[in-house]
This record gives sequence, C-alpha cells and structure tokens, in this order.
Amino acid sequence: MTSIQYRRASYVTLVAPAFFVYAAVIIFPIAYTAYLSFVRWQGFGAPQWVALANYTRMLTDPVFLHGLRNNLLVVGISVLGQIPLGFVLAYVIYRRMVRAEKFFEVMIFLPITISPVVVAILWNQIFSPAGAFTAIVRALTGNPTYIMRLFEDRTLAIAPILFVILWMYTGLYMVIYLANLQRIDPEIIESATIDGASEPQIFTRIILPAMVNIIFTTTVFAVSGSLKSFDLIWAFTQGGPAHYTEVIAIYMYRHTFRFYNYGLGASTSMAIIVLSVVLICGLRAIARYLERRYE
Amino acid sequence: MVTIPRTGRTNTRNSARSGGAIFGRRATRRRPAIESVGWKTAAYVCMLAFTVLTIAPLVWLAYSSFKPHPVIVRNIFSLPESLYWENYTVAWTRGTMGIYFVNSIIYTSTATVLTTLLALSAGYGLAKFRFRVSALVYGAFIMGLLVTPHSVLVPLFILETRVGIDNTRAGVILPYIAFGLPFLVYLATSFIRGIPDAFEQSALCDGAGYLRIFRSVIVPLSTPVATTMLIFAFISNWNEFVFVFTLTSSPALRSLPVGINAFAGGMTRDFGLQFAALIIGTVPMIVFYIFFHEQIARGFAAGALKG
Repeated sequence: MTSIQYRRASYVTLVAPAFFVYAAVIIFPIAYTAYLSFVRWQGFGAPQWVALANYTRMLTDPVFLHGLRNNLLVVGISVLGQIPLGFVLAYVIYRRMVRAEKFFEVMIFLPITISPVVVAILWNQIFSPAGAFTAIVRALTGNPTYIMRLFEDRTLAIAPILFVILWMYTGLYMVIYLANLQRIDPEIIESATIDGASEPQIFTRIILPAMVNIIFTTTVFAVSGSLKSFDLIWAFTQGGPAHYTEVIAIYMYRHTFRFYNYGLGASTSMAIIVLSVVLICGLRAIARYLERRYE
Repeated sequence: MVTIPRTGRTNTRNSARSGGAIFGRRATRRRPAIESVGWKTAAYVCMLAFTVLTIAPLVWLAYSSFKPHPVIVRNIFSLPESLYWENYTVAWTRGTMGIYFVNSIIYTSTATVLTTLLALSAGYGLAKFRFRVSALVYGAFIMGLLVTPHSVLVPLFILETRVGIDNTRAGVILPYIAFGLPFLVYLATSFIRGIPDAFEQSALCDGAGYLRIFRSVIVPLSTPVATTMLIFAFISNWNEFVFVFTLTSSPALRSLPVGINAFAGGMTRDFGLQFAALIIGTVPMIVFYIFFHEQIARGFAAGALKG
C-alpha cells in the first residue's frame, strides 16, 4: 500500500465511525422530516402528497400561534434577561467587588447541573395555588386570601416559566463571561487607570469591545437553545392549562406522538429549524451593523 | 447558519495559545479591583439576592423531603420535627427508582465514553489530515449544534423500528451519541489543532502508524480536553429526557429524569414522596458538582470561548 493510500485509509478509519452515527441519526432523519412535512401520513399506509397543506394548517392554528408567541418570549428572556444579568454578575466577580467570590460563583452556577425535570417539578410545587409562593405573598402583604392564579391567565401563564428559565441559566452565562473576562490583560486596565480613565470609560472602551464576539456567540446559543426548550416546560405544565404555556416543541410532540399526525409534526419541526436560522441570520445582520457603526 | 463554522475556523492558529488558557491553570495575576463603596454595596446586594434565590428553593426542597405530606400542607416552611425517612423508602420502592438509577448509569456511562472516543478520533482526523473533504465533514458536525432532538424523532423512531432496536437500550444510546458529537467534535478538533505537528512527525519517523499515533500520542496529549468532554457529555446524558421519553415505551428502560417525571409529576399527589424523588434525582449531580465544579465551569466556558 502506498503512503497516500495508507493515509487515506487511516483517515477514514478515524473519522468514519463518528460520521456514520451522526449521519444515520441526524442528517438522514432531517432530510426525511423535510419530506414528511409535505405529506399526510398517520404512520401506516402510503403517505399522501399534500404540498403546503400542513404548513397552512399550522400557521392558521391559534394554538400554534400562541406557542410561537411563548417561544419568542423564551427567546426574549434568554437574550434580554440571562445575558445582561449573567454579564453583570460576571463583571462583579471579575472586578473583585465582593469578597468570597468563589462561593457566589459556585452557588449561582449550581442549577445548571440539576435536571430540568427536577427543576420544573420543584418550581411547579412552589407556584402551585397552595404552594410556597402563595404562602410568601400572604406573609409579605398580610392578605390571607391571596392565591397564586397566574396560570389561569392566558397572557401571563408563561411568566412563572420564564422566571424559572432565567433562574436556571443565568449562572451559565456568568461562567462563560467570567472565563472570557479573565483573558483580558489586566495591564491594559491598569495603565488606563493610571492615564486617568474613569470606570464607565474603562467599561465601554476596553471591556465591551473585548467581549462583543463572545456576547454574539452566546446570543446564538441562547436563541437556538430557547427554541428547543421542551423538557422543562413539559415537566412543568405539559403546555397546559388549555395550551396557555405551550411552545412549538410541545405542539410538535402532541401532534406526532399523541395524534399520530406525522405530517403536521414534521412541518412544525421544520418551522423550529427555519425559525432558528432566520433569527440567527438576523442577529448576524445586527452584529455586522453595530460593528460598522463603531469602527 | 454559517456563524458557528466561522467562529470555529477563524481562530485555528490561536487555538494552541487559547487552548492553554482554557485548559491550563487559571491566570494567577491579580485582576483589577473596583474600590468604590457605593458600587461594592450594590454588588453585594445583587450577588446575595441571586445566591439566596438560587439556594433557598433547593434547601427548602431538601428539608421538606423529610416531612410527611400532611405536615407539608399544614405548615409549608416549618423545619421537620424528626427525620421522616419513610418518604425515601416509599419513593424508592413504589417509584422503582432503583431500576431508573441503573438505567441512567448504563445510558450515561456507555454514551459518554463512546461519544468522547469517537469525537477524539474524528477530531484527530479532521485536525491533522489535510484532506479537502474535512471542511465539509466538520461543517456538517457544526450544523448539528442547531438541530433540535424533536426534528429527528419521527424518522428516528421509524428507522429504529425497521432495524429492530426500538424500545431497547441501544436505541437510546445511539441518539445520545449522535447528539453529543457536534459539540465534542468541535472541542476535540480545535484542541488537537493546537498540538504541534512535531509530535506526530517524530512518531511517524519511529515507524508508528496513524492509529498507533492516535492511541499513544494524541489521546495522552488530549487529556485536558478529554476531561472536559467527558464531564460535559456526562451532565447532558444524565439529564437527557426527550429520547428516553419518546423512543422507549417499557418502564423497565426508563432513565431517572423520565421516571421521576412519571412518578413525581403524575403518579403521586403526596408532596413528601414527590420531594424525596426529586432529591434522589438531584443528589448524584450535586455530589458530582462539588467534586468537579472547576472542570464543569471550564467545560461550559470552553464551548463559547472561541467567539
């Protein structure tokens, strides 16, 4: 065997096993999902080509639209809540504004290791009508008749879930930003201080420019992660009551595995992918625009 | 869609240096401090508020799990008068937590080790063999970071039924591996790129084959990134929910998160039992966190460091 052939054979031996598993479980099924989204199929018999019928049905279904709205709220709380809060916490630790910083870091990061299912059931308990939240509000306001009723309100039912998502993942962003802040050369900040730069100036001229890229990357992660959210909300409310807290992934699950409406489920899956691509492209455009303005 | 490959590729040249910063020891130089009293007070308020909010629910859950149901309902915040262990014994037996525990350990350990090995070997191939197809393969892996498990569930379910591995442990472990690969391949490739070619060259001169080099040069040198990969895969596999939930129908194949959801989220209305089940599911991860906090934090940070 010549050396190039040997190189090639070794390359295939190294890369092929991983790629094969990946292709069989992800690439091929995605292509199949794309096909299924254009047919009507109940899991048996021949699939029937219906072109865009699944998509139009999905887009005119008020349950789907409410789920989409909830999903966008989850994206919103991730991008506008977790990321700024995580940044503030990381900055507080980085600039050594508190003692026992290690303790705070460890405690705030802790929820990330706990299963979303456990987190959801725990908080569902706390927010239940007879739960801890009701008891705390009663004690604080002195109103013994208060009962937590947010879940009965179509508009606000998602609020407790948004809070829990904020609770669970802010620590993750804190840790990511902290690791990146620690890579900024401290001497730059020291010499800026000696030259008489004020705190806000140091923040906007040195810290922010060094962090722009990582903020963008984490935003991309936050967006695609938010659109995927399923287990936490499923274990929390199963999308109920009356679909008030439904998100697209739950809508997809229900139609596929409860009603065996594979076509509609597949078109919903495609919607999740398309939506994350669109949002991420939008983010890129914003990032480019900001880059051009500040350079 | 094109963002992530770009972030992965632009820093190829830097990866040796930044890899050292991520995986090596933390910088010991002192960070610049803010001394203003007003800012410090605000910082303390902010940190304390967040810490209390994070820890209080977990502490409450822990001590409430030792109270019988009627006591929890009557007095929701009181400390337990005596340790009511029955919650645990009943939750363990009636909720069949033992089976879920064993399943979780099987799924997690198998998938974690296999994913890490596959990702390391693919990472070696993609990082060091300069074949043109590598860009395409690497790009395909990176795209996987955007794919949701739900978008492949139906075809995967059909596929597994055809092959005959539906409702088996193998049928669960396979998607665990596939969905772990994109991120681990990304970590492995960028780390191995930073390993100087000289190591490989001198081994080649000594007459070692590429697979031998992988085993006795690349893997030992990759220990820091491999630790991160193992820990990261361990956490996500241990907490995984969707695949076990949809691809298995037999309760004997359930993992801990799915079992706990079935038990605490539906089967029982007894708060004491629910809390005990939640604690059973949480304690292993908390112990893990106490021992590996530093590596866990580094692993999550490493994922986004290349920005």
